[in-house]
Amino acid sequence: MDDQETIDKVISGDFDAFERLVEKYEGRVYRHLRKMVNDKELAEDLLQETFLSAYKGLKGFEGNSSFSTWLFRIATNAALMYLRKNRPEIVEYDDQIGNKEDGAIRGTSPAFVSTPFDILLSLEGKNKIEEAIDGLPVIYRSVIVLRDVEGFSLEEVAGIMNISVAAVKSRLHRARNAVREALGSYYEEKGASAARRASK
Amino acid sequence: MKTCKEFCEQLSDYLDGEIGERECRLIEDHLEVCQPCALLFESLKLTVKICEQGISDEVPPEVRSRLKDFLRKHCKGYQM
Repeated sequence: MDDQETIDKVISGDFDAFERLVEKYEGRVYRHLRKMVNDKELAEDLLQETFLSAYKGLKGFEGNSSFSTWLFRIATNAALMYLRKNRPEIVEYDDQIGNKEDGAIRGTSPAFVSTPFDILLSLEGKNKIEEAIDGLPVIYRSVIVLRDVEGFSLEEVAGIMNISVAAVKSRLHRARNAVREALGSYYEEKGASAARRASK
Repeated sequence: MKTCKEFCEQLSDYLDGEIGERECRLIEDHLEVCQPCALLFESLKLTVKICEQGISDEVPPEVRSRLKDFLRKHCKGYQM
């Protein structure tokens, strides 16, 4: 059953159908919120708020975008509203990437690209990816998560974030390079440590 | 003649298929002869790939259970 059929059932009063929609999307929405606000408890509150708003607004969903895009827009707005109200400095002013003085793109050590894929995706590797993304300002973090983690198109990310496609591309370029540099430094250091241990 | 920095500025768009055919050829020609840019491109591709696969979408059972209870409590009486 596709989302629209499920939505029609919800609107006609079938609450179990809504629970099926929640089960389908709760993982992705929770991941997105967790990455946006960097706080598991807050992400849980926003997850509840997102699905409650979605339920209340479902009748107004016109199908101009996919249901997932519409749902992620609700989640993103909820997170941004919370952050603007409670931590405005991290939404409006925290742009250490965009303000980087030389704007230079740092190169990469071969250690990162030569690391086997299963090591990059080991528990330690996954923690490093999370750390690298969490280290980005929220305006970059949200774009890389929507595009590269959630797989939305550039146009969909622009719609969810309410920014232009050009702004998405610019933020994505900076975010990807910042994550690449962080992972590159980590694997370079890890390779150097292993070489030091081997030479003893 | 473009500089390495200018080529690197385009690599994210190139990965997303957002670069025109002629520009794509210029980038590909450059990557063939410039090792540092080729390495940077490989690491950028790898970054995107591990972002796609490296972040769990698992919801802890207690979070899932509280969400279910919350929605049952707040949605069921709501008139759509």
